[in-house]
Amino acid sequence: MTRSTLGALLLFLLAFSVPLVAQIQPIPNGNIQPVPIPGGDLVPGYGIVNSFVPGPPGQTPPFDPIGAEPNVITNFKGLVAMGYTSGLTTMTSDGKQYAVITDIRVYKGAYTGGKAGDFGQPTAGATMSALSGNPEEYNDPENSVFVEI
Amino acid sequence: MSSQLHDFSPYLLPNGLFWTVKVPNSALTINADGSISLHLVDVPVDDAFTFPPPVQAVPGISPIQLIPAKLSLDITYLKGGNRRHVRPTSHDPLSPLNWAGTMWDSTNSGRFSLSYDDGSFSASGNFASAGNFGEMGFERNGVFSHDEDSNENEEKSTFLEAAPILSPHAVVNSVPKTERTVLLKGRVPVHVNE
Repeated sequence: MTRSTLGALLLFLLAFSVPLVAQIQPIPNGNIQPVPIPGGDLVPGYGIVNSFVPGPPGQTPPFDPIGAEPNVITNFKGLVAMGYTSGLTTMTSDGKQYAVITDIRVYKGAYTGGKAGDFGQPTAGATMSALSGNPEEYNDPENSVFVEI
Repeated sequence: MSSQLHDFSPYLLPNGLFWTVKVPNSALTINADGSISLHLVDVPVDDAFTFPPPVQAVPGISPIQLIPAKLSLDITYLKGGNRRHVRPTSHDPLSPLNWAGTMWDSTNSGRFSLSYDDGSFSASGNFASAGNFGEMGFERNGVFSHDEDSNENEEKSTFLEAAPILSPHAVVNSVPKTERTVLLKGRVPVHVNE
């Protein structure tokens, strides 16, 4: 392999490795922390999960009431998409085929979360409300994208 | 009904935020036809096997066993008909009905691949709404839920104007019959196979 060919290969690998490293932005390290919705479903044996299960008209449990909150983040304003799906695995390491069920939700928008406040004296991290993003334009590049999987 | 054998999710943040990750804006594409596409690569998730997860026979620090894995997926949401305006009908902060917005029925479909970090299990496949419920649109909750000016802004959105009207149940319900179920998320009320 010539030096130029090797260089091209390394560039190719670098180009495709950067998104893998940078894609997930750890929420606990963020400046303004999103806050979970205060309500949610009470799951026996587990407790309250801060998420609802929206459903269609004419629904029956385990859906929540018609028009139930689809978001898991409170003080949020923006785009929301969600849906339940089913499918099949096409390949598995154990050679078996599995049915697949998903509920993947996407949120893009502004939110009011919590950040460490300035109270004029050192604190343990006491929070104050802070706005993240632009609530007047859901597609503002300053707005955040969250995915619930 | 099949039994659940796997349950992949980012699991819970210490603050209770439910199975959520933050991704860069570049992961989400909002298309001119009103659809949106999400592309995720190697999202750290855990396999909790079921939801609620089983308690470990010999508990460690965590009472449940979580197997670290990586998930990649592509998913596209299509806006359908049946636009509805949502208004808060409760002031109870814990209520599911304390939010506002404009929502449409939607369908979605995609493909995924995942593998345990230790390489002992991997799977890939496809998924689609198949007649199950989905919705997309604009919402306001919490401190924004009573922002009345937002109604007009939502109506003016180019995203809303461009979106085609599709049947929310255009995809025929074709839930397959298989022996096993691997969930990307538990407690999902889809039409499951008999």
